[in-house]
Amino acid sequence: MLKVQHLVKIYPNGTQALRDVSFEVADGEFLAIIGLSGSGKSTLLRCINRLIEPTAGKILWDDVDITAASGAEMRRIRRQIGMIFQQFNLVKRSSVMTNVLSGRLGYVGTVASLVGHFSREDRARALANLAQVGLEDKAYVRADALSGGQQQRVGIARALMQNPRLILADEPVASLDPVLAHSILKYLEQLNRERGITVLCSLHFLDLVHRYATRAIALKDGQVVFSGLPHEIDDAQFKAIYGQEAERVSIV
Amino acid sequence: MPPTTALFSCPPTPLQVLLCAALVPGSGQLRLGRVWRGVLIFVTAALLLFIVNWGLVNFEIGQITIGSLTTSWLWVPLILFWVWNAWDAYAAASDRSGNTLLGVVCAAVILYITAWNVTDIKLERLVTRFSDFRKVAVDIVNPDLFSTTVQGETRPCSWGCILAAARAGRLADVTPSENFGDIIGRIREVKASGLIVGLGLAQPGQPVRMLVPGKLFETIALGLLATIFSIIVAVPLSFFAAHNIMMRVRGGAAIYYVMRTILNAVRAVDTVIWALLVIVWVGLGNMAGIIALTIHSVAALGKLYSEEIEHIDPGPVEAITATGANLFQVLRYAVVPQIIPPFLAYSLLRWDINMRAATVVGFVAGGGIGFFVVETIRLGAYPQYAAALWGIAVVIILVDAISARWRERILRDQTQAEITAPRPWYASLRVWSYLLLFLALFVGSWTLLKLDARALLEPAPTFGRLVRDFVTIDLSPDVLEIVTKEILVTIFQALLATTFGSLLAIPFSFLAAKNLTGRSLLSRWIYYAARGLFNVLRSIEALLYVAIFVFWVGIGPFAGVLGLAVTAFALLGKLFSEAIENIDPGPIEAVTATGANRLQVIRYGILPQIIPPFISYAIYQWDISIRMATIIGFAGGGGIGLRLNNYFGMLQYHKAGTVVLFIVVVVALMDFASAKLRERLV
Repeated sequence: MLKVQHLVKIYPNGTQALRDVSFEVADGEFLAIIGLSGSGKSTLLRCINRLIEPTAGKILWDDVDITAASGAEMRRIRRQIGMIFQQFNLVKRSSVMTNVLSGRLGYVGTVASLVGHFSREDRARALANLAQVGLEDKAYVRADALSGGQQQRVGIARALMQNPRLILADEPVASLDPVLAHSILKYLEQLNRERGITVLCSLHFLDLVHRYATRAIALKDGQVVFSGLPHEIDDAQFKAIYGQEAERVSIV
Repeated sequence: MPPTTALFSCPPTPLQVLLCAALVPGSGQLRLGRVWRGVLIFVTAALLLFIVNWGLVNFEIGQITIGSLTTSWLWVPLILFWVWNAWDAYAAASDRSGNTLLGVVCAAVILYITAWNVTDIKLERLVTRFSDFRKVAVDIVNPDLFSTTVQGETRPCSWGCILAAARAGRLADVTPSENFGDIIGRIREVKASGLIVGLGLAQPGQPVRMLVPGKLFETIALGLLATIFSIIVAVPLSFFAAHNIMMRVRGGAAIYYVMRTILNAVRAVDTVIWALLVIVWVGLGNMAGIIALTIHSVAALGKLYSEEIEHIDPGPVEAITATGANLFQVLRYAVVPQIIPPFLAYSLLRWDINMRAATVVGFVAGGGIGFFVVETIRLGAYPQYAAALWGIAVVIILVDAISARWRERILRDQTQAEITAPRPWYASLRVWSYLLLFLALFVGSWTLLKLDARALLEPAPTFGRLVRDFVTIDLSPDVLEIVTKEILVTIFQALLATTFGSLLAIPFSFLAAKNLTGRSLLSRWIYYAARGLFNVLRSIEALLYVAIFVFWVGIGPFAGVLGLAVTAFALLGKLFSEAIENIDPGPIEAVTATGANRLQVIRYGILPQIIPPFISYAIYQWDISIRMATIIGFAGGGGIGLRLNNYFGMLQYHKAGTVVLFIVVVVALMDFASAKLRERLV
């Protein structure tokens, strides 16, 4: 159970990214976070693993206060939270294998990892995770030789290396073609259903939310303006979230 | 809303602004919220005010007597500048565009007239003393490299002599001269070294014929070792000077600012000046040269490296942090893979620069070809000097080409489609052969330079005094006055040199631009000739040119200006021609399509594209020239270097410290100002 309580984030330049955000996510949920660009989705996701320090509020994960964790504790928490990014965030010049193995860094010793040593099990696990996303034949290719969709699958394999109980996905398909978007979200759906991994995923397109999410929250100007089941978002709700000018568009 | 306008509730009237600007230059513009322009005008006005008065008092520049009043007519352009500033503010307030050029002209008149006088420009000497130059020029064309024996007497044998010998079929009589041996190397019988004996090639103590490398190879070794050492030191340091890394560490911000300041200060002091300090520590010799080169190079590389770290893609850093990795793991997996190609490229660039610096560091430190050159100049042995120059030119042109080629390959950074698991590094033949080559070069250079690390631990007794005096530098008014005077002369030298250099470089750069070269054979030859001229001139350090000009126009700042101008010409020529090559052909096509003639195409299609980069490069060159101008005094080129050398010679370290402080401040300020100005231009 993840509880976000009265979360506030004010950036040093004065921007109020989050104003008193509270919600709960039960284990095994696929929660979609929707909202316009700049509504605070990315900030919210990054506050959960404290890539961004929240200004006020609490985040409790299984009754452990993430916001109060010290450096070493935070790293132990982070290693159980996989993260997937819009821009994939792979190290482009490193091989796919190295990128995937880097998901294991929170578990291995510093010295061993600094000289590039990973155990036989970790390597086998990396290959298995690459097979899971259908990229076992690309293991020793440099990451920048892959297409966007392939890079995002490497990103998923990297997150899987962490044995995550929770996955944060920040616009995972916003940089991809519609067809690829479905293939990526299907992987996330599979992980959610088969392994019971909780998924928090920010999305742009409403029909993707309808198709994959078990629940949705909507942010507007850093506030939660909707929380409920995906199909409950009617036209009135839609206008409230996206503004009066908005029109529904659909994706393949 | 800019903060300055927020101070006032209502918009200022043109008259108010005019009054403001008339009282304090720049304040009118500031009042209108044009902060940058206002500050620039204020600073310029203050500097001009100081310079006109300083020039009148110290050099009687522009002195005129009206009745009982003795003053300088340079106050006229200053007043005009003042008036222009008020008018500019007024025009801006009433929404008309001012004319920046007028203000620039007023300032330029004052600057150039002052510069001309303080650097003692005597153009007529270029003509009246041309016979002196001819002597040197003949020697330079005929370097002392070969000799021949006629009736038991060894004589130098230059090109004409070689040609004659070849015609007579007696080329075998022409042998490398003694000077050739000094510079490049000679074969000599020496006692077999331990390595040779160990390899079983000779008995212990048995004489073997070996190549004894000359000063040129010592110089190559100097540059190489200094580069290796500075890379080793600068790589770890650069992380402490990178903003994005230090912000992740508690207390990192303070470390960041301290590191950046130290790097900038150290970088501002030229290698040759560092050599002055280092010889007090380890004494004259190659060791001093290496340390001086390394110190400056660490600071330069540290800055470049840390900027590269700051420019990495933050995405992977975020991703690796999110996996629960600690700081070291983030550095190893997210930062290091991204910075390897730029680090390699910058290291190669630095190798090139260090090789150039290594040719002159011996002027002071007493090693490599620099020391040899000083000796030849002292003896007036120009044929020997010329041979050294040609040797240097060949080496540096080669180094330049290798470094540029290699950098290009690294930065292209192609992906290799490797499908199988790569072998670990220790099983790769390539890695081992590189490692072996590297070790051989390192050990070879170390032995060639006869380095002894123990010298580091035994500083000369005066070194303690040097450190103490540098902490308690002399800031008494008379010392300050002298140092201010010398540093201003240095700045003006750089200004004039850059101006001369760029004026000359502009026409030549058009000849050296590939896209403007016609298809005829002649124009292609002109292109290669211009390119070649830039490359050859660029390979020689300004200090070495100054030594020639001293002979031509006499010791003093004028010789320094000329030496710097040659370097500025070569560097700017290359940069200008590259700027021309980089222009967008679209506008040229469009202007041509309107039916414009060739001159009109240049005026409307080409000039607007090249003027901003030209100005930007010229400002950049002025910045570099100031740095170089701080050392030309060591070869008789005047400026602050001469003063520094004297203070060191007389062991007046507390005054030398003042000079170094001034150099650091001025060079760092100019560096900052030139970067800001160029940012605004481009």
